[in-house]
Amino acid sequence: MIVTTAWLVLLTVILGIGATPMRAAAQPAGTLVVGLVAEPVNLDPAQVTDLNSNRVGRRIAETLVTFPDESTQVVPGLAESWTVSRDGLRYTFKLRKGVSFHDGTPLDAEAVKFSIERQIMPEHPFNKLGKYPFANYFFGNVKAVEVVDPLTVEFVLKEPRASFVTILTAGAASIVSPTAVKKFGADYALTPVGTGPFKYVSWDRGQRVVLEKNPGYWKFPVKIDRVIYRPIVEDQARLTELMTGNLDLMVGTPPDFVAQLEKNPNVTMLKQVGAHVWYLGINNQKKPLGDKRVRQAMNYAVNKEAIVRDVLKGTGSMSAGPVLPGTWGADAGLKPYPYDPARAKALLAEAGFPNGFSTTLWVPESGSGMQSPVAMSTVIQSNLKAVGINVALQTFEWGAFIARLRSKEQELFALSWMAGNEDPDMVMYPLLHSSQWTPGGPNRAMYKNDRFDELLHQARLTTDEKKRAELYRQAQRIMHDDPPWIFIDHEIQTAAHAKRVQGFKLHPSFDLRVETISLTR
Amino acid sequence: MKRYVARRLLLLVPVLAGVSVIVFMVLHLSPGDPVEIMLGTQATEEDRTRLRADLGLDQPLHVQYVRWLGHVVRGDLGRSLFMRRPVLGEVLGRLQATLILTGTALLLSTTLGIALGVASATRPNSLLDRVSAMASLFGASMPSFWLGIVLMVVFALWLGWLPASGMYAPYGGGDLRDLLAHLALPAVTLAAASVTIIARLTRATMLETLGQDYIRTARAKGVVERRVVLRHGLKNAMIPIITVIGVQAGYLLGGAVLTETVFAWPGVGTLMVQGILARDFPLVQGCVLVVALSFVLVNLAVDLLYAWVDPRIRYE
Repeated sequence: MIVTTAWLVLLTVILGIGATPMRAAAQPAGTLVVGLVAEPVNLDPAQVTDLNSNRVGRRIAETLVTFPDESTQVVPGLAESWTVSRDGLRYTFKLRKGVSFHDGTPLDAEAVKFSIERQIMPEHPFNKLGKYPFANYFFGNVKAVEVVDPLTVEFVLKEPRASFVTILTAGAASIVSPTAVKKFGADYALTPVGTGPFKYVSWDRGQRVVLEKNPGYWKFPVKIDRVIYRPIVEDQARLTELMTGNLDLMVGTPPDFVAQLEKNPNVTMLKQVGAHVWYLGINNQKKPLGDKRVRQAMNYAVNKEAIVRDVLKGTGSMSAGPVLPGTWGADAGLKPYPYDPARAKALLAEAGFPNGFSTTLWVPESGSGMQSPVAMSTVIQSNLKAVGINVALQTFEWGAFIARLRSKEQELFALSWMAGNEDPDMVMYPLLHSSQWTPGGPNRAMYKNDRFDELLHQARLTTDEKKRAELYRQAQRIMHDDPPWIFIDHEIQTAAHAKRVQGFKLHPSFDLRVETISLTR
Repeated sequence: MKRYVARRLLLLVPVLAGVSVIVFMVLHLSPGDPVEIMLGTQATEEDRTRLRADLGLDQPLHVQYVRWLGHVVRGDLGRSLFMRRPVLGEVLGRLQATLILTGTALLLSTTLGIALGVASATRPNSLLDRVSAMASLFGASMPSFWLGIVLMVVFALWLGWLPASGMYAPYGGGDLRDLLAHLALPAVTLAAASVTIIARLTRATMLETLGQDYIRTARAKGVVERRVVLRHGLKNAMIPIITVIGVQAGYLLGGAVLTETVFAWPGVGTLMVQGILARDFPLVQGCVLVVALSFVLVNLAVDLLYAWVDPRIRYE
């Protein structure tokens, strides 16, 4: 009796709610709902350290220079033009006239100076409001930011660095409204004000971030009225929400779901290779890994094609090095190492290891840009086993993993790098120049090749892009022959959207440019 | 009674102090620190040193703990390392969602659990009893995230009856019906394991109670069976059942972490997971303190309930 009552109550609740289906409850015509893999953390562009905050924050605040919608070549943004002094130490930017922040403050040279100096000058009155984790990485080389006139601003560098313009495309280089920072203080991270296509409206913690179109956007008229970002961590939940019409756009499709979404008639699936590299690091300072022939053998031994096809289900593109193929600095002649176990065995024998050797491989369980680290590493482990290299796999939680890589005790390790731009200096130098050895820098393979180092250094001092490209190509050929890592893949990002979404493209920088979208009914 | 409650509330202090020490130590002693995660793979040693000093992480552990505790005593749980916002506000803002979810789950598991238990006890070895035993085994051994995903696929994806995630529809919505629709799947998921535990315990204690002499007397006097079971049986079997419900309340508060993550429920659980992955020390410490406090308060409430259910129990 009681049982039946209780069941009846439960059933009534479920059915009562279910009687009128919840799906697609009258979507407002101009509102786009985006599913993110995690909640944004902080919307002050200078404090952002994660992809989700960046993807939302870049709608609000913009940079002096930016990328076009399909590539990562640097083009004018808030600055309409720039010049570089002959000695490569002064970068002068001419700002666009008539642009203002969402709060009405005009965009001028003072605002640029404020946005950068608050991060790098400890004595700046607004320096203490945030932690600016990347201030040194991006702007450590900036000596001063000088206001020449209201629409002209000059960056003075400590030493020449040809990739400086590319650095100014970084989220941390976004220009923020000084009025808003002064008004909101530490809470600016909650109420960001910039010049971008969308204005910040509200943020219900754990539920949604709402942005509204900036009707006076300087670049083009924005066609949607509102964007709602929803954090949905669980893959299945995100997928279900998209398929039932509660999301218009989602990013981060787990490889196993790609085929399912591609077949769904209500959904459009997008793919785009990103400025990213996934590599199996080799400690070049440990025996026998220091032997070039051993590292070559390992590259021949791994079946990258199988990894990309069977583990990543097409969400990766085989790599021949850190630089994204097809960009200005890439060497078109460089091909991924072919899968050739016989050649690998021969090289090992030549190096004095006809019966192989034993080593360990450290793998994080997950991590930004790490794709499917454990599954990929397992394939690599079995490929290496086939040529006689016995690999013991050890998995770590992400935070613990990066801490361990500073011990210099690593032999093999799985890691990735998301440069978000195509400048070879932003990926080759930090990862492979010998001045960047861990723990001081990110060269965790402790690679050292003198000629290679010299070429990278020269390229930094050369401002002419053609000459730089030639230097980088030479460096890549050296690195390909004397491989620091086992080269694996460049991630192919995926997104899926409802049919009513028009005009959306994934960007190689991993940005999510929803301002290009229009919605049909 | 008042003195008893006052004494129990006073005892909260050492309990929470103990919890705070354990959480602080576990977090700080686990490998990897917030600086590593904040700076990611691009960090230089210089950045790490500077940021670590900025965040006060270069101080010895006991100094950090005492400094944090000093703030907590004054009601300040500190600022989240990543969000740069006061932790107390963040946690309290999420607490309501968690209480709605665990409260509903507790209500569901208690009503269903007691109902099933009583029904099984009055008809031992019947079909219902066996089905309920099987369902219990299933319910207790099934991980909640798996059940959550199965329910989501069936009710949201295939049938389209219920939304798959969140607390309210992203636009419009916001009313009670919208909330109930979003609540249904996570609440059922969370309640599943508790229902079975409460049901099995109710069955066992009811069987024992129904075998007592006074039950036979009541029946002999001609009391209606329903009254015998509910008034004479269930009420006397309630003490252990209330105890287990109290334990389950704590379990649900903790278990909400997984369920909230699966269904993107904006509660303390999702916040805590975010905090743990980022090693956001003040945030996680704040979440755990608040959850521990709720747990202790629930326990106190359960103890006070005993006196109400069984007038023989007195607190001096």
